[in-house]
Amino acid sequence: MPSDRALEIEGISKTFGAVEAVRDLGFAVRAGELFGFVGRNGAGKTTTMRIVLGVLAADAGVVRWAGRPLDFATRRRIGYMPEERGLYPKMRCLEQLVYLGELHGMSGPAARTAGLGWLDRFGLADRRDAELQTLSMGNQQRMQLAAALVFDPEILVLDEPFAGLDPVAVDVMTAVLRERADAGLPVIFSSHELDLVERICDRVAIIDHGRLVACGTVADLRRGGPERLWVDVPGASAGWADGVDGATLVRVEGSRVLLELAPGTDDQVVLQAALATGPVREFRRAEPSLVELFRDVIGETAA
Amino acid sequence: MTAPSGRPTAGAWPIVLLVARREVLTRLRSRVFIGGTVVMVALLAIAIVGYSLVGGRTAAALRVGFTGGSQALEQDFSTSATALGQPVRVTDVSDEAAGRAQVSAGTLDVLVTGPATSPTVVVEQSASGVVQAALEHAVLSARFTAVGIPPGVLETVVSGLQAPVDALQPKKPGMTQDRVVGLGVAILLFITLGLYGSQVAQGVVEEKATRIMEIMLATVRPSRMLAGKVVGIGLVAMLQLGIVAAATLAAVDTTHVLTTPALGATAVLGYLLWFLLGFLLFATGYATLASLVSRPEEVQGAVTPVAVFQIGSYLLAYLALANPSSPIVAIASVLPPFAPILMPVRTTGGDVPAWQVGLALALTVAAIAGLIWLAGRVYANSAMRIGARVRFMDAFRG
Repeated sequence: MPSDRALEIEGISKTFGAVEAVRDLGFAVRAGELFGFVGRNGAGKTTTMRIVLGVLAADAGVVRWAGRPLDFATRRRIGYMPEERGLYPKMRCLEQLVYLGELHGMSGPAARTAGLGWLDRFGLADRRDAELQTLSMGNQQRMQLAAALVFDPEILVLDEPFAGLDPVAVDVMTAVLRERADAGLPVIFSSHELDLVERICDRVAIIDHGRLVACGTVADLRRGGPERLWVDVPGASAGWADGVDGATLVRVEGSRVLLELAPGTDDQVVLQAALATGPVREFRRAEPSLVELFRDVIGETAA
Repeated sequence: MTAPSGRPTAGAWPIVLLVARREVLTRLRSRVFIGGTVVMVALLAIAIVGYSLVGGRTAAALRVGFTGGSQALEQDFSTSATALGQPVRVTDVSDEAAGRAQVSAGTLDVLVTGPATSPTVVVEQSASGVVQAALEHAVLSARFTAVGIPPGVLETVVSGLQAPVDALQPKKPGMTQDRVVGLGVAILLFITLGLYGSQVAQGVVEEKATRIMEIMLATVRPSRMLAGKVVGIGLVAMLQLGIVAAATLAAVDTTHVLTTPALGATAVLGYLLWFLLGFLLFATGYATLASLVSRPEEVQGAVTPVAVFQIGSYLLAYLALANPSSPIVAIASVLPPFAPILMPVRTTGGDVPAWQVGLALALTVAAIAGLIWLAGRVYANSAMRIGARVRFMDAFRG
């Protein structure tokens, strides 16, 4: 269950030469929360995560955990999966996990137990003595997640953990992330799989050009947008909705139209106008998917 | 769950040792280490055995045949030659013609023929000084006996005949042997420093190229990572050199090919100490420059400045062997980065003043300390700059 502890990112900025990668970015990921971090390529997601991990130094701003700025000791408690995957190619799987566990302060036997547990969980138990480079890309990805989890981290930061995974691996990854969040960790991950993010995340942040453009539950994001209606009137002539006050045509799909209502417009007026043209087969409030919400907010900032 | 700060922070040394242990285990398993050690030991064994067969013939017993009256000289000759350090095997030969045939066939090294008081020596090319001296002694003894002087008188007259020489700058005995050892030390130090220095360089770049660096930097401080790598690879190198040194000493001990203090246990430990210092110096330099690039194929170019000093030290070692009293050699041998190769090579001659060795050690240790500081700074600043080569001054400033 979410507690009052949170990973807080406050006012961070980072400039590379003339490129402003992140500007005054701020949001919080609560403990026990699965948090999706979305944005176009180059929006600043990886830069933000690297700043959280201390791999990059921010020009301004602060990252806190449980109210205290992150220091090196706390950062070592973060399980991190970088965008650029990397483990030792010639090291054996179990050995590699044990090494990383020990670097994070575990005893040898504890690291071994944890390493074996995660290999088992990811279906890699029979590859424990195989060199990493002999594994398939998907299995290397699983190893990368195991490397982030082996030392029982307090926080998880994962850069595109789902990229390149097959559907079975996606299910395993999803279950593990959910389970870690339920165990009380703040879990933040970036992804371009917006359907997946919508399905599994408690909250979502959308960033564009290094700035936060939306943050909240998917329902929150929907509430912020204008009301939209799907109306299917097979018998109506095209353009029947033009005469309805406060309604704007967004899209036509066959005989269905998607209408956007101006604030304060009564949807019953729209229904009556539709009925006046013939039988109405469908009349429902449109629930925009995250993909649509994403396009909307990104479209606004791009314009 | 523990509080964020509730976990103990691992100290510097456990981390350095963990990183070092990984380097050691990974490398001990590699074919490069096993194969490299076998090849080095094999090459040295071949060199030593070959030397004992070709150059070290003096150690083998000389076959000397006597014929006619000279056969009376056999026992005296044999005793004198052995006393002069030349083992001989003396045989009777039936007549001069048969003896000459045996010498030209190579089954006899020396034939002594004619009367005991004025014999003739028959050899393939030349007779060694030892053979002539021993024969001279035997003939002298035979002539004394011929004129009725008892053999004991000769010893009394001859003993102490050679005036003692008080050399102001005595030439060391076994100078050539020392040079052989010095050359071996120079070659071995140069090869292993280069081999393991480039392993450090490759290791640093591998971590950048495979991007494991990003996980590591989020876990381990760069300076500890660097220290662990240098210590780990250094231990592997010391182990390999130790094996090679032990095998060399064993081979030398078996074949008796070289007998010089330059191959004593103390001297060998000294060479290992210099290797350790040289390794710390060069490996840190290699690691610093290698951290500026991101691709394995760029390493060679990046580390060239350090390699130049290493090759320079190697070339100076040849100068030191050819001209040990050269002031250039004396000055360079106390200065890093030349000292770790040049000083041990000089010490194989055995006549380096202790203060020069001490100064060389002190300056080298100081240089290592300074370089480690520099390396930590450059490495930390360039470790996450993946892509184009980082300019040294940018990495230094951060």
